[in-house]
Amino acid sequence: MKQKLWQLLAALVVLTMLVPGLAGCATPTPQVVEKIVTQVVKETVKETVIVEGTPQVVEKEVTKVIEKEVTTVVEVEKVVTPTPEPVRKVATFAWTQEPDTLNPLYTNMWFSSIIQQLYNCWPWEFDDQNVPFPKLVTEIPSMENGGVSEDGLVVTLHLRDDIIWSDGTPLTSADFVFTYDMAMSEANTVSSQYPYYYLDTIEAPDERTVVMNFAEPFAPWLATFWKGLLPKHVLEPVFEAEGSIDEAEWNLAPTVGCGPFVFDVWESGSFIRFVKSEDYWLGEPKLDEIYYQFVPDDASQTAALVAGDADLGTFPPLSDVPILEAGGLEIITQNGGYAEGWFFNFRDMASPGARDVRVRQAIAMALDRDAINRDLLLGLTEPAETLWDGLAAYGYVSPDIEPWTYDPDAARQLLEEAGWTDTDGDGIREDADGNKLTLIHGTTIREIRQDAQAVTQQMLREVGIDLQILSFDADLFFESYSNGSPAALGEVDIMEWSDCTAFPDPDHYYWYCDEIPDDENPWGANYFGCDETLDELFARQIATINTEERTAIIQEITKYMHDQVYWLGLWVDPDYWIVGERLTGVKFSGVTPFYNIMEWDLK
Amino acid sequence: METTIKKAMANTSNQVEVAPLSLRELVWRRFRRHKMAMAGVVMLILLVLYAIVGAVFLSESYANYTETSIRLQSPSSEHPFGTDTIGRDILARTIYGGQISLLIGLAAVMVQVIVGVLIGAISGYYGGWIDSLLMRFTEAMFNIPQLFLLLVMARFFAGKISTIRFLGRTFSGSVVVIIAIIGLTSWMYLARIVRADFLSLKEREFIQAAHTIGVRNLAIIFRHILPNTMAPIIVSATLGVANAILSEAYISFLGLGVQPPTATWGNMLDGAYNYIESAPWLWIFPGLLIVLTVLSINFLGDGLRDALDPTTVT
Amino acid sequence: MTRYIIRRLLQAIPLLFFISVILFMLMRSTGDPVATMGGRRTVRSEDRARLSRLLGLDKPLYVQYVYWLIGNDWAKIDTDGDGVPETPGDRRGVLRGEFGKSLVSRGREAWDIIWERLPNTLLLMIPAEVIIILFSLAIGVYSALRQYTFTDHLITAGSFVGYSMPIFFIALVSMYVFAVNFKRWGLPYLPTIGMFDPQVGKTPSEVARHMVLPIFSMTLISIAGYSRFVRSTMLETISEDYIRTARAKGLQERVVLFVHALKNASLPLVTIVGLDIPLLLGGAIVTESIFAWPGMGRLFLDHVSRADTPVVMGILMLISVAVVLSQLVTDIVYAWLDPRIRYE
Repeated sequence: MKQKLWQLLAALVVLTMLVPGLAGCATPTPQVVEKIVTQVVKETVKETVIVEGTPQVVEKEVTKVIEKEVTTVVEVEKVVTPTPEPVRKVATFAWTQEPDTLNPLYTNMWFSSIIQQLYNCWPWEFDDQNVPFPKLVTEIPSMENGGVSEDGLVVTLHLRDDIIWSDGTPLTSADFVFTYDMAMSEANTVSSQYPYYYLDTIEAPDERTVVMNFAEPFAPWLATFWKGLLPKHVLEPVFEAEGSIDEAEWNLAPTVGCGPFVFDVWESGSFIRFVKSEDYWLGEPKLDEIYYQFVPDDASQTAALVAGDADLGTFPPLSDVPILEAGGLEIITQNGGYAEGWFFNFRDMASPGARDVRVRQAIAMALDRDAINRDLLLGLTEPAETLWDGLAAYGYVSPDIEPWTYDPDAARQLLEEAGWTDTDGDGIREDADGNKLTLIHGTTIREIRQDAQAVTQQMLREVGIDLQILSFDADLFFESYSNGSPAALGEVDIMEWSDCTAFPDPDHYYWYCDEIPDDENPWGANYFGCDETLDELFARQIATINTEERTAIIQEITKYMHDQVYWLGLWVDPDYWIVGERLTGVKFSGVTPFYNIMEWDLK
Repeated sequence: METTIKKAMANTSNQVEVAPLSLRELVWRRFRRHKMAMAGVVMLILLVLYAIVGAVFLSESYANYTETSIRLQSPSSEHPFGTDTIGRDILARTIYGGQISLLIGLAAVMVQVIVGVLIGAISGYYGGWIDSLLMRFTEAMFNIPQLFLLLVMARFFAGKISTIRFLGRTFSGSVVVIIAIIGLTSWMYLARIVRADFLSLKEREFIQAAHTIGVRNLAIIFRHILPNTMAPIIVSATLGVANAILSEAYISFLGLGVQPPTATWGNMLDGAYNYIESAPWLWIFPGLLIVLTVLSINFLGDGLRDALDPTTVT
Repeated sequence: MTRYIIRRLLQAIPLLFFISVILFMLMRSTGDPVATMGGRRTVRSEDRARLSRLLGLDKPLYVQYVYWLIGNDWAKIDTDGDGVPETPGDRRGVLRGEFGKSLVSRGREAWDIIWERLPNTLLLMIPAEVIIILFSLAIGVYSALRQYTFTDHLITAGSFVGYSMPIFFIALVSMYVFAVNFKRWGLPYLPTIGMFDPQVGKTPSEVARHMVLPIFSMTLISIAGYSRFVRSTMLETISEDYIRTARAKGLQERVVLFVHALKNASLPLVTIVGLDIPLLLGGAIVTESIFAWPGMGRLFLDHVSRADTPVVMGILMLISVAVVLSQLVTDIVYAWLDPRIRYE
């Protein structure tokens, strides 16, 4: 009996000791890899040299510095990140979310899309003003150079002739057509077929030309098409063999790419490593290697950045900003088109307050948005007036818009004029029938949003409006109409989240009247309401190819939405970058953040 | 196996009785001797007073008053416990949060007791296939760790109820949700105990006698058997309050509990570990209050257990 | 005995079915995995319709349960949206060993994702369980032998405080003292985040260093509770007749206590510890969140908030199986240790 108990305990103790040992054993053994490496060596060779001053020709031994190709055997430790050697420039980026996949068609994750910029390529990219410049194409198609037809139905891309994939295969129009085919194929569960379903047909008359035919003019084509290309010569065999590219190896290990860097290895849960591409047609990037290090959460990102273990980080929690700045790191904000704001529900089932434009205007004047930005967001950003603020470089925002200022007295007066008075003295206004001015506000459970909810609730109470606040998990808030999402059903009067247009295009699809969800159309995205004027304006702008005309329509939209307060901006939600001291030459874009990654250098 | 466990939880302190006393007096005497239990009672009374009387000095609107310019201030004379991320006074919030936490504790236990006793009584008394079915159900619920169940159920009921006015206070409807789901996920243990007691008691002579003279089943259950099982129910309920407060703290800490701006001690700790270095007063005060409350309830429960029935299992 | 084991295992099967039905209904009734597939933006209507159809999310609840259980390669799904199902499915179902593909980490098998994280949680739980057993026994016996002394009262008071604390409070306090303040005072400090420092790599010593604080938080509460339990059973056992006999026979006190008393006193502890697995797993969720430990608890939290049913159901079923098995093992071990127990 005693023996049994001791046996049991001994077994347990041995088990405990085994477990960490097993974990240790899980570290993979180093791999031996043969690589072809260009080495710089000094060699002594015999050369015939003319002795200076004399006509004599002599054989001399000369030491020359030449480059030789040498096959070396290199041991690659997969788990331990190598310390940067003096000659190699290795940058480490701390990433708080591990990508779900690296195939551009299968993910909408921002943390994946921007990694794709290193090894994938777009026909045109966008600079720090979010203005496009050509990359794969010789010039950006437009009406002036004939790239866009007069009626706007045909867009022709002329590709450069020196573009190649990283394995040497030329990049041709066939790859464009293949990408389109894969996106539209029913066998692939791609995350989005937008905007490819707007294409009527696509043709490749020769290897350097892609012709896109639309059934109706589609103005947003420049900002939405070709956000990543698939290599036909790699993926077509997979598609034909398996019937789908859902499980292609390339999705998780895109070794063949067309960007300035080449994918090397993805250690799940640890890091992704990229090395510079030797054959990139635009030259060589300054950095030799880039590591995307996955850190478990924001706190470890901050720790890594402050310790100097990482050179770049994203989206620091506001509580860590003082720590980061004290550590010598720079916080750069880049407008990516996102703005956090209140979407007002003016459908029939919304509360009478939300449907009254004067109440909405009063709300706009009752919120001290400067205080919110200054105190809650530490002054890192500023209030937004329209959803198009991020496109300032394009001039879409109407110059006639007068920003709402914090004026609680004017708000109270407006509410009185609208017939909302506090008859029973409880601080909340009622209308003539005695209905209380109560609005229901819903958002997700992020801390900054809940803080903002409490603050704005108080600001509105001071002018006599009762804001009832609810918060949900994101997947419950944005659930489908059939599953009873409160937003889709119209049960929430004010919905708050961060959104953008088809940035850098001003197109938006939320306010179309036929997008209102109901039993026939449960997937509709218009949780807000049908305004015929707005519906017509949006429908017109998407088909207007002429830039001046389109800008005028967008300006009309911005002014109308601002005056009707269909959307009230709280703050601009930029991309936050934390840049370490070692990195130089860094510039960001709101659309293609790593557009000048080739210029990035380490001190 | 049953007897061994029963004996294992026996009180080992020596009791000396002088003259026969009534049951109530007996219990009270035993309880009084338990010094820690008395300390627990005192602490509990103080905490309840803190939550109730404190509300007299600081109004609810003061507790909810945000002033972002004074956010994250360390404790000072004006704000003895400091301010939180949007400038609310933490002292006031712990007072009103305490009301909610205690309310949740008590109400969840009521739910738990009602469900557990009902299921245990019916199962134990009627036996047969009802017993089998109910016990299978109990076992199934028992086998899923409570926290996982709470998380899944919290999402199921999220956002269904908006604000509630109760006893002069306005708070989020998620409080009702939390009460319901904590109650509905912790009755299993009580059901088992009640069932075991019913199984053994229903064979006793006085119950058979009641049958013989024609007392109806329901009356037998509630007026004859149940009063004899009160001891474990009381002890379990008392400790259940502590458990409920802790469960609420856990689930609010994970963000799925009571929704802000309604304060509870649990949700004041949500996200506090981001400020562990820069603003420790955010979590120290509500955390300490939770510990003190649970501690005093545990003392009380321990004392009750020893006093009511020294051979009870918990 | 074998018959008993087989009977228990057979009883476990309908139990597990029942559990799976309850959990699946709860999971699928709430949350739309497609809703968060848009990244920073909301998903477009056409994509929502298409993805819901392709992922089988538009079917009624019981049909989804059947597909989860036994797959859908015997049924056809409608891939092109014309309302006519024509493509055979490709899922084999749980009963044939496939938990399904994760709806969040697209393209990866749910089982692979869970399997990646499982060892990390076991790495916390198994040492924690052993530490709990050893320390509870040690402290409980020590306290029992010195009943009513100052040490005993101190330990009892400490135990009360210990199991009155919520686990995250212990975690926060230990973080604050051992990590933050130790660093401030220049002492060697313990790390608070993750399983290993990425720069150093996943070495055993690095992992062990990171394990200290999480395990400390997890075990403190249980040790506090169980040491009191061991104390009372030890006291109870010591007053039994056979101990008196042993003393009367002239055996050494040490032999009496540690050979005869302890082994009988620790029997109930086996039962309780065996039933502790669910609690430990629950505590793991909170601990892993606070310490950013890449284990199953964090996986559960991340994926339940994005309604990833295959992964969440995989974790829950794994836990249920573990709990049922641990109950069975506990009963068997208990019978093995105590010859008086006999099952038919």
